[in-house]
Amino acid sequence: MSVDRIETDVVVIGGGATGIGTLRDLSLRGIAAVLVEQGGIAHGTSSRFHGLLHSGGRYAVSDTLSAKECIEENTILRRIGAQCVEETEGFFVLLPEDDPDYVEPWLKGCAEAGIQTEELSVEEARRLEPEISPQALRVFRVPDSCVDGFRLVLHNAMSARRHGGRVLLYHKVTGISQANGNIQSVDVIDTLTQTKKTLYCRAVVNAAGSWSGQIAALAGLDVPVSPDKGSLIVFNHRFTSRVVNRLHPGSDGDIFVPHGSITILGTTSVATDRPDDTKPTREEILRLLAIGEPLFPKLQTYRILRAFAGTRPLYTPGNAQGRNASRNFQVFDHASDGLHGFFSIFGGKLTTYRLMAEKVCNAVASYLNVNTACTTKDQPMVEEASAEHLKAARHAFPVGDLSLMADRVGDDLEKVLDLAKKRTSSSSAGNPLICECEMVSLAEIESIAQDPDSHTLTDIRLRTRLGMGTCQGTFCALRAVNAMFEHDIPLSRDPLYELRAFLQERFRGLAPTLWGIQAQEMQLSRAIYAGVLNLRKETYAVKN
Amino acid sequence: MSIHLDPDKCLACTTCVVHCPVAEATPAFLGPRMIGPAFERFRLLGIVEDDSLKYCANCKNCEIACPQNVPVATINMLARMAQCQEIPPSFRDWIVAHGEVLARGLKYFPAWLKNMGTHLSLMRTLLDWIGIHKDCPMPNFAKTAFRDHLPRLSQKGFAKSVAFFPGCYINYYDPGTGFDLVWLLNQAGYRVFVPKDFVCCGIPLISGGFEKDARDNTRTNLRVLAELNAQKIPVISACPSCRLMLTREIGEFFPELMPKEKISIDDAQSFLLKCIATGELDIKTAHNSSVNISAIYHAPCHLRAQGAGLPALELLSYFPDIAICEANAGCCGISGSYGFKKEKYAIAQSVGARLFQRITTSGRPLVASECGTCRLQIAQATKKPATHPLTLVRAALQGRPLTLG
Repeated sequence: MSVDRIETDVVVIGGGATGIGTLRDLSLRGIAAVLVEQGGIAHGTSSRFHGLLHSGGRYAVSDTLSAKECIEENTILRRIGAQCVEETEGFFVLLPEDDPDYVEPWLKGCAEAGIQTEELSVEEARRLEPEISPQALRVFRVPDSCVDGFRLVLHNAMSARRHGGRVLLYHKVTGISQANGNIQSVDVIDTLTQTKKTLYCRAVVNAAGSWSGQIAALAGLDVPVSPDKGSLIVFNHRFTSRVVNRLHPGSDGDIFVPHGSITILGTTSVATDRPDDTKPTREEILRLLAIGEPLFPKLQTYRILRAFAGTRPLYTPGNAQGRNASRNFQVFDHASDGLHGFFSIFGGKLTTYRLMAEKVCNAVASYLNVNTACTTKDQPMVEEASAEHLKAARHAFPVGDLSLMADRVGDDLEKVLDLAKKRTSSSSAGNPLICECEMVSLAEIESIAQDPDSHTLTDIRLRTRLGMGTCQGTFCALRAVNAMFEHDIPLSRDPLYELRAFLQERFRGLAPTLWGIQAQEMQLSRAIYAGVLNLRKETYAVKN
Repeated sequence: MSIHLDPDKCLACTTCVVHCPVAEATPAFLGPRMIGPAFERFRLLGIVEDDSLKYCANCKNCEIACPQNVPVATINMLARMAQCQEIPPSFRDWIVAHGEVLARGLKYFPAWLKNMGTHLSLMRTLLDWIGIHKDCPMPNFAKTAFRDHLPRLSQKGFAKSVAFFPGCYINYYDPGTGFDLVWLLNQAGYRVFVPKDFVCCGIPLISGGFEKDARDNTRTNLRVLAELNAQKIPVISACPSCRLMLTREIGEFFPELMPKEKISIDDAQSFLLKCIATGELDIKTAHNSSVNISAIYHAPCHLRAQGAGLPALELLSYFPDIAICEANAGCCGISGSYGFKKEKYAIAQSVGARLFQRITTSGRPLVASECGTCRLQIAQATKKPATHPLTLVRAALQGRPLTLG
């Protein structure tokens, strides 16, 4: 079998926020770069966290440097990633079981880091957020925001592409070659087609997050990164419009983040030896609920949609563990290990991904003798859709407010609008809603499906939110596959296989939280797919 | 307005969509599930309200159908009230929601003049221009309102009293039904009175989005109801929509106004059934009459929404002189004032088509239904007279042939 040969300056490994952010940074500097990612966009940790764009308040006492970086990056991201960020603000709430003496150092830490705080009366706070416990003693307002991690990565990729950056998804690194202590090439395999490629380059950035230990090992290096599992719960509705944190030293289950139509509660922290250990357990979920309840007394009555988990790539020199491990990031030039042109970046958190990318790109640029400065903080990642423009396309969509859709699709907006208009003018069925829970129309699905990087229904889900709402795919999965089949929109595999794979993936997150109304929902889903459609394991086995 | 009903109970099963007469009639309505619990998740996010909301007729078929007890239509009405805080409703919407205020304002005009006003083609063109469809059925004002006439009736020698909530329809357009009820209750030994402070139940105000006016009316009605309940005086209603509003909906719209004690209002037909069961109302004389009534009964959606059976059908079946069958063909389409509105007239007609067909082919010369606007809609579409079941009951009991205009 022949091996494709690609030449570039820099190969970036890892399609999460840091990797794609690095690709964007390099591309804006005019440095040729190719990014390889073993799964889809943000397949690792960047889409598996609570989506809090930290104000830094959480690190105000323990880690002033992190806190300072957070507030600076938070401000930048609200500017350059408006479509990915919801400026909700946040509350820090002191409960009777919390140490009141923590407040003073916390306020001092915030002031030092430059994080604005404002104390509200408990009455005022509960007027704004009525579900917060009446037991609250003190409430402080901070500039926390919410960020859609997946979209942030996607929009970074869109921006990088516009500037010449290349992204190879579903490409797994199989080897890293060096000659005379210099990086020479990276071997990858396309996991969908089994095609092998060799990427010749002058430098490699290892931004593989929890997988960066495995990548470094391919180059014969050892990096101190330990994956640390965090599990989270997704609730069906938005019971808070603001981020709500417990005012105490960071701990499990003390952050609530509203996100579009849902609310997320996180997080646990358990050391793991597998970077893909993303299966939350029922025990973790019950523990999170018990811990979260004092802040939201009705917590146990809210409907849970699902649970998910991700692994933090903690930087752990000297075997620091869990919450004690620093949330700082580290750029490593492996020249000190005898390998020139190989850089690793690890640790950190999503909020500071841009800064991490800037730092590693500075090192790479200097290694390549390029003097262009970083401009990632000045340019918005995707252009903002004009209100008039959306209004003119209003008639082609089943739901009037197009802003959520426009924010989601970013650079694909024109394409979606064109397809919607075409559908509306060509058939009486027009451009129907395929997913009602998250309000996704056929045109959006069609447009995303035509993207060469979309291979599965799950790829479409991530970009449209298809199947991520109340019914978790019970109705929209069938509708989507049906509509795609009917309109000759290609799926890479047999539609029934796709359907089953999609539902299996949804079920994975449902399994640890299967009680109450969501259990009823799943019975309905089972009745439809396993009963009526006979879409059973024996007929359509899916490899998990 | 910041009440948001918890959207968590909805399974997205779409049973409500299948049972929604409006969604079946027009693609302009996204359907009860989408515009109700599904959209509620986005209302919490502060999304712009969808145009499609205005098509919800508040007929409650979604709530009747929902296996999870999601108050779908109530979610929609709460959203509409919130929307009307932002965008004030039109003049037309004010008019159709404020029938009572309007009727009071026009009190001193003679009925013939008011009715000429609503039936002259010039006037209909004018109404059409403000958004009330020129072909929609409209009720006639009665010469004297029920509440004005009631004190003139001699009701002496009754030991027991019952308070009657007449609702706007009986009061202004259909006092005859009210007097039939009074006659029947007199037979059972009850004096009937209307407390002077009772006002419109508020359901048209809710549908129109007039939150404040509906709240004011609710407060007043609750005060009167609490006094009556405290005095153990039974309260009855002959209008399913008024009763639905007063016994259930106000608690969903205005939870903060609700008293601790349960407010009780009886359905007039249920009350009469109880009177028969206790022997207070003797219906034996009815067996000697020869009135021979043949009618088809339409159960109003708001009656079915109460989940308390079809007491009128049961009551009518007690009288051998009344041959009654049930239409059981869904909504008539009018939904209060919905079918009056120009942009919804065709939808309302389309919704009712199945019922009209059923009534026409039934061969029955007469239609019975408790709801005033259902009767208007049915009578216009089928050209058959439509009457309140109580009128039939009285005719059978009194042995007096029906006179139907």
